[in-house]
Amino acid sequence: MSATGPSDDPEGRASILPAAADQPDPPRRDFLTLLTGATVLVGAGAFSWPFLDSLRPEGSGDAAPPLDVDLSRVVPGQQIVVVWRGKPVFVVRRTPEALQRMRGAALRQKLRDPDSHALQQPAYAANWHRSVAPEWGVMVGICTHLGCVPGYAPAPGGGAPDWPGGYACPCHGSRFDLAGRVFQGSPAPLNLPVPPYRMIASDRLRLGENNDSGSFGLDDIQQL
Amino acid sequence: MTLPDRRRKRAWRRGLVLLPIVAAGLAPAAAGAQEAPPANHWSFSGPLGRFDRPSLQRGYAVYAHVCSACHSMRALRYGDLRGLGLTEEQVRLLAEGKPDAPLPAPFPDADAARAANNGALPPDLSRIAATLPGGADAIVAILTGYRSSRPVAPGQYDNPFVPGGRIAMPPPLHAGQVSFTDGTKADPDRMARDVASFLAWSASPHLEQRHRLGVRVLFYGIVLLVLTFMLKRKVWRDVR
Amino acid sequence: MAGPRHDDVSGSDRPPPPGANEQSAAEAPVGPLSYGRFGGPPTSDLPPGAPPLAHWIDARLPVLSYLRREYVEYPTPRNLNHLWNFGAFITVTLVLMILTGLFLALNYEPSVAGAFASVEAIDRQLPSGWLLRSIHMAGATLFFAALYVHIFRSLYYGSYKRPRELLWLTGMLLMFMVMATAFFGYVLPWGQMSFWGASVIVSAVSAVPLLGHALAALLQGGAILGDVAIHRFFVLHFLLGFAIAGVVGLHVLALHVTGSNNPAGIEARGPGDTLPFHPYYTSKDGLGLVVFLLIYAALVFFAPGWLTEADNYLPADPAVTPAEIRPEWYFSPFFAILRAVPSRSGGVLLAGLSVLLLCLMPWLDRSPVRSARYRPVYRPMVIVLAMAFLTLLAAGLHPPNGIWLLLSRIAAGCWFGFFVLLPFVHRIETPRTLPGQLAVADPA
Repeated sequence: MSATGPSDDPEGRASILPAAADQPDPPRRDFLTLLTGATVLVGAGAFSWPFLDSLRPEGSGDAAPPLDVDLSRVVPGQQIVVVWRGKPVFVVRRTPEALQRMRGAALRQKLRDPDSHALQQPAYAANWHRSVAPEWGVMVGICTHLGCVPGYAPAPGGGAPDWPGGYACPCHGSRFDLAGRVFQGSPAPLNLPVPPYRMIASDRLRLGENNDSGSFGLDDIQQL
Repeated sequence: MTLPDRRRKRAWRRGLVLLPIVAAGLAPAAAGAQEAPPANHWSFSGPLGRFDRPSLQRGYAVYAHVCSACHSMRALRYGDLRGLGLTEEQVRLLAEGKPDAPLPAPFPDADAARAANNGALPPDLSRIAATLPGGADAIVAILTGYRSSRPVAPGQYDNPFVPGGRIAMPPPLHAGQVSFTDGTKADPDRMARDVASFLAWSASPHLEQRHRLGVRVLFYGIVLLVLTFMLKRKVWRDVR
Repeated sequence: MAGPRHDDVSGSDRPPPPGANEQSAAEAPVGPLSYGRFGGPPTSDLPPGAPPLAHWIDARLPVLSYLRREYVEYPTPRNLNHLWNFGAFITVTLVLMILTGLFLALNYEPSVAGAFASVEAIDRQLPSGWLLRSIHMAGATLFFAALYVHIFRSLYYGSYKRPRELLWLTGMLLMFMVMATAFFGYVLPWGQMSFWGASVIVSAVSAVPLLGHALAALLQGGAILGDVAIHRFFVLHFLLGFAIAGVVGLHVLALHVTGSNNPAGIEARGPGDTLPFHPYYTSKDGLGLVVFLLIYAALVFFAPGWLTEADNYLPADPAVTPAEIRPEWYFSPFFAILRAVPSRSGGVLLAGLSVLLLCLMPWLDRSPVRSARYRPVYRPMVIVLAMAFLTLLAAGLHPPNGIWLLLSRIAAGCWFGFFVLLPFVHRIETPRTLPGQLAVADPA
């Protein structure tokens, strides 16, 4: 298609074609060359469309159906991980002691966003326990730093003397409390996301439906 | 399939006008009990053809209520039905919220399908209008061409439009079987035409886009042809 | 052709006097700071009027002067007709095939379970997938159509003759590679025609004496034609596309050593016999290309059914052979030869030989005259060869009985007869007087 590039060298022609090229070209040829070149460019541009179009992401993620999670066999202090829309979702049953520590003023001071101001959760989870029922924590288990899955480290103490129990990311050491709130000094900037869900019974929750009449979806989360 | 029929099919596919007549003339009378399907007028035939959207939608209703009891359309997903002119909301309702899901198949595999149909395998209909010689015309002819609604042999019905004149499918269409939401009366001829349109759409779902885009591309090409022709003449003018 | 070399460091637009380059090379201190070859300053073959940046680049990476030499100034016989456009058609089609092929490969699944469904999904659900696939499918047909015309043009005008033997042989190699690529590609959708085409070819390969069974087993990669074969065919198809592009590069390199042949078949003798490639042949190829692409578009948008076997929209079924199994039209002539011979290995051998004989053209044809225009015996022979090819093509598309079997045998006889008689033609042929130069050879 490079066949119609502009002629940039009248001398080169003259040297090889002494008989034929002694007359200068009329200006119309330059205009014609430009117009043809421009038309070819427009065509080539349009031709790239089907290629780019075919790279468009396929399917609508929102079409993934809601997922019911049975909580009746989760004991206090235990966490289960369910996969919903290809993402790990932590469902943790927090003990009364853990809840106590989550409310402590000492912990609050170490957190970056203790009151969940950043849009990392639906409105009905923007509370101190970042959930619908305080006992049940529900979070998307993807570190807001670079996307690793944080490990569950519920026991207080542990390696660090003042560790209140929570999550530690294996990749770059980001730490979160049991409500998914990020500790200051972690590379992760934001709290762990809370997916849309509602409690359909005291021991059963449904991922993908909101607890209020809102339309909160995973796409609304600031950093997933 | 007999050779003359085969030849007719090829000629039909290649859009030749004369060959079918020649082939039909050459076809020996003893080639089988199969008759050629009568030709219908289809809005989608020809180089600029388009589909009749209401007919496509009625055709889908016929498929969904009648044909899909035995025939799969495995290549189709619910989202493809947007091509029938259905709105996003209608597709969502039909798909029960899963537009990426394939249309459900009546049987899990070919063995199960045979077991449920006296050993006959109801073909998948995704491309039937392309693979069945005669296309949409043949579909209409087969669906409405039964000589009797009673089997002539166990599981064998008399239909002159299939090879050998015997088909395992019982006459599928009956008046009033489907109630069309647009008020069209559901008589078998209407239903056969509509479902044939629908199956023709499924066999070439991008026909309208193809034709529309083709006109634009040819227009562009002709403009470029004129330009390059003038340019070439101009460049070569001084060469003797 | 190449003007004096210019020193770009000076930044001067004036051409230095002849010998200035050697002088400065001699004077330049040899050391880590000197970066031209043999210690000279970087030089550029571009004319002095070119922008300084172009000189700067070209002195370090001489692509610009290469392009200028080979695609702008490149002296081309002034009398080439439109049959000389077909090389450009093939090149453009190859680019289109590789581009669409890449995007199709992104969405294709090479497995028995997934191949058919993934092609259906490309056709139905992938945005613009139907268009990419349609361009790829029509491309196969147009590739062969252009290739066969290109080869016929070489035969007619004697382009295979000394000193263009290797140009011809790289072309033959390309033809074999294109055939293999087309075969592997046709199998990938795993429809009925794909599967049975592959079965027939694998059987045909196994009929080759001595090596046949080993080759067939290597192709198939297992007891049945299944996942392993599909995967091998996919990788080979993908790889061959790029390999063809590489050999096309060699082909063009060889072409630019000797320059193009021309309808008169005599070498260009002076500046009056040639024209610079640009703008003369860029505009002529451009015009031809637009016509070619119009035909391409008409096929893609208005006659896609011409290029597809409907039966290939039925998933592969190893239990049912389609009623009439035949190859795509571009393999049809060789298929017709295969069927015209009432012997399995004989048919395979002759079909293979019919193509291989073409490779020997430069040595079978001993006449010093190139163009059929000036060869009263060769000209009717090469026309009969072309007609035999077309007859075989038609015969291969029809059932092998009655008139078509007879025609295919006659045509096959003509095809092989051509090569048998060719070495003796120069003895009985009195060539017509050749023109002295191209400027008078082709008044049109």
